[in-house]
Amino acid sequence: MTGKGKSRWADSAEDAALEAQLKKEKEEKKRLKAEKARKAEAERKKREEAEAATAAAQRQQQQQQHDDDVNGPPAKRRRLSTDRDAPQPQAAARVSSSNDSSKLLRFESAGGFGKCRSVENYDKLNDIEEGAYGWVARAREIETGKVVALKRLKIDPKDRSGLPVTGLREIQILKDCNHRNIVKLKEVVVGDDTRSIENIFIVLEFLEHDLKSILEDMPEPFLASEVKTLLLQLCSGISYLHSHYILHRDLKTSNLLLNNRGQLKIADFGMARYYVPDSSQQKLTQLVVTLWYRAPELLLGSSKYGPEIDMWSVGCIFGELLTREPLLQGKNEVDELTKIFELCGIPTDDSWPGFRRLPNARSLRLPSSTTAPTPSTKTLMRAKFPLLTSAGVSLLSSLLSLNPSRRPTASEMLEHEYFLQDPKPKNEAMFPTFPSKAGQERRRKRETPNAPQRGAQKEGGGGIDFGAVQLGGIFGSGREREERGGGFSLRMV
Amino acid sequence: MSHMINPLATPEQLYQRRSFGALPTELQDAIFFSTQCLTQAAGLLLQLPQSVTAQANVLLARYWLVEPMMSYEFSDISAASVYLTAKLSPYPRSPRDVALVYNYLLSPSSTFFSPVPSEESPPPPPSNIPSDYYLPEHLYNSFHTRLLKCEARILYSLSFDTHVSLPHPLAITYLQALDFLNTSKSTISKRTLAYLNTALLSPQMLYLTSQPNALAVAAIYNAAKDVGAKMPECEWWEVFDVDREELGFLVVGMRSVEGWGRKMREDVERMRAETDRDKRGGMITRRDVEGELRRRGLSVGNGGHTGERSSEEEPVDMEAEMARRMDEKMAEIEGSA
Repeated sequence: MTGKGKSRWADSAEDAALEAQLKKEKEEKKRLKAEKARKAEAERKKREEAEAATAAAQRQQQQQQHDDDVNGPPAKRRRLSTDRDAPQPQAAARVSSSNDSSKLLRFESAGGFGKCRSVENYDKLNDIEEGAYGWVARAREIETGKVVALKRLKIDPKDRSGLPVTGLREIQILKDCNHRNIVKLKEVVVGDDTRSIENIFIVLEFLEHDLKSILEDMPEPFLASEVKTLLLQLCSGISYLHSHYILHRDLKTSNLLLNNRGQLKIADFGMARYYVPDSSQQKLTQLVVTLWYRAPELLLGSSKYGPEIDMWSVGCIFGELLTREPLLQGKNEVDELTKIFELCGIPTDDSWPGFRRLPNARSLRLPSSTTAPTPSTKTLMRAKFPLLTSAGVSLLSSLLSLNPSRRPTASEMLEHEYFLQDPKPKNEAMFPTFPSKAGQERRRKRETPNAPQRGAQKEGGGGIDFGAVQLGGIFGSGREREERGGGFSLRMV
Repeated sequence: MSHMINPLATPEQLYQRRSFGALPTELQDAIFFSTQCLTQAAGLLLQLPQSVTAQANVLLARYWLVEPMMSYEFSDISAASVYLTAKLSPYPRSPRDVALVYNYLLSPSSTFFSPVPSEESPPPPPSNIPSDYYLPEHLYNSFHTRLLKCEARILYSLSFDTHVSLPHPLAITYLQALDFLNTSKSTISKRTLAYLNTALLSPQMLYLTSQPNALAVAAIYNAAKDVGAKMPECEWWEVFDVDREELGFLVVGMRSVEGWGRKMREDVERMRAETDRDKRGGMITRRDVEGELRRRGLSVGNGGHTGERSSEEEPVDMEAEMARRMDEKMAEIEGSA
């Protein structure tokens, strides 16, 4: 620490040398770094250049495509004749570029059109049913050996309006449908003499049974698990129909077919039609659905209705599956309404707002709700079906709501907790089998009333203006016609 | 999806039509055009919505790809197709209504296909002589019988498949999606629908070769060009699943109908004038066509193949024939433009 001598920190030659060395090293480092940076820079530039080049190429390409676009399709077509001279590379390039751009949805599944085949392609095996409804037979396709049901379209030669519109609608709707719980229409065939088209047959897939005759013959009712399977299938078929804007309008157990593998299919679309949802202008005939399955709004003469009427029929079928007996066997419209009110209670302005405005409600003599408090629908149902679980009761009573808007839709019904609870729906493959009547013997005559006949009640009666005089008309004189049923139906099993 | 698609004609069917019954192509086109126009006129008089009449047009076109044109009287087939589609629609019409309308349209009092007025010959004052279109009961009965027969025949020929999806509602939906191309809603919509309706008359049978979405897009494209609307700059048609190739074809096809139709009217008038024996309406009949064939020295085949002619036609290359027709059409369009 003395200030005299050379400071220990004084610069010496050594120090200088050292410093120079350090400096040199530093510089060297700097140089290297700079060089490295330069190199990197160069590399980056090179890369960028390459990128720019490709981008430019792309831009050019796009520009070219764009030019094509600007010229537009007509120009392209106009070039057609020159295309023939030098088409190949250009066309190929264009094809590939358009392939790159997007994937388009192709609509090619609709098939074509052509003449009907002859009924002679089928061998008749046995009659399934014959009667007022027309003729249904079991037959085998000669070519493939497949067994089908042949249903003859009933044509009244005296009917000067041509082929029956119900039959044509049935064919069209079945052609449009593709669902495992809806009977499949294979084709339409005609008699051999094609100069006049008089013999028209609908070829349908053959199913061994219909639910009605199974129920009639069973010694024991269906198990709860089996009822669930049947209802689920019915409901998924109806949900398909409704989502395709089709009303069935004649759901009943005799129109539900069952094969030996436990599969249920909805049949007989003779009453079916397309509908416009929430349409206030479309007037539909209320003379649909077999009386025992007919919804109260139809009985009250509403001409604006929707899928809810099918859901009412589902409720009736549900009840029938439980007891093997049709649920509401009214003798006529008035009796049917009475039976409905006995089962479901009397409608009130609260439970069904606006029902008093329906055409036929005017003639109703309802006990005033204040004097006799009616028990709730659920209570009535529980009394009628003591063995049903409470989820089942809630489903059934909601299906049989007098107020159409309170009924669940088919897709809502599929989600109902009734189907989630034990016992679980039985696997279709585990379903019991039954002896098939359709396979062998002639079906005995049915005792269910038939769907109302189209045209039996003309639009005059179907309108809103529905006086008491006309009420007598449908309730009284319509009965005989009712027995005869629609001209055309699809119950072949 | 089924309500958006149609069954389409097969290439064989389209080709076969050209050799059907040995009818020359331009005669077939004249029959097709006048019958489709008759169907439209009947639809108007029967107060049917265009959605019903247009379906009748499509069914009729399909029917003629399956059966020879000369099998039945053209007006009867037209009446049957209208009657059938109306019956299946929410607007049924009685056979008598149909009979009265067709009887009127075929009478000399109707202005259907009356000669196009030109400068030299001003249109004659419209005549309305009720006795011209009075329909006696026996004629009504025979018409009724023919109507039902043709109805059954059409259904048989189409395997009872009466499904027709029209492009009109799709076109409106697409226009909405395109925000009406920022032009007047009604102008461009009307123009679009006009193209779609005109396309029903096209000899290229656009409704049998293209799906509704493609027809709708092509009609919008044409309408937009006509009203000078600015279309999106990208390939907007791909959004509606139409490729450029098809769009281009349809755009030209739709645009060509107008000029072609004018020529057809002249053809029809000439043909009818040459066989005109007594006063009658503007619609051509099978007799007119047979007369025309005789004048050309061709044998009259009632649907059957006539030997020499079909063997003569056989070697014609399908593609060459198609190319020739397209070139002709192009020349026609460029000529008229």
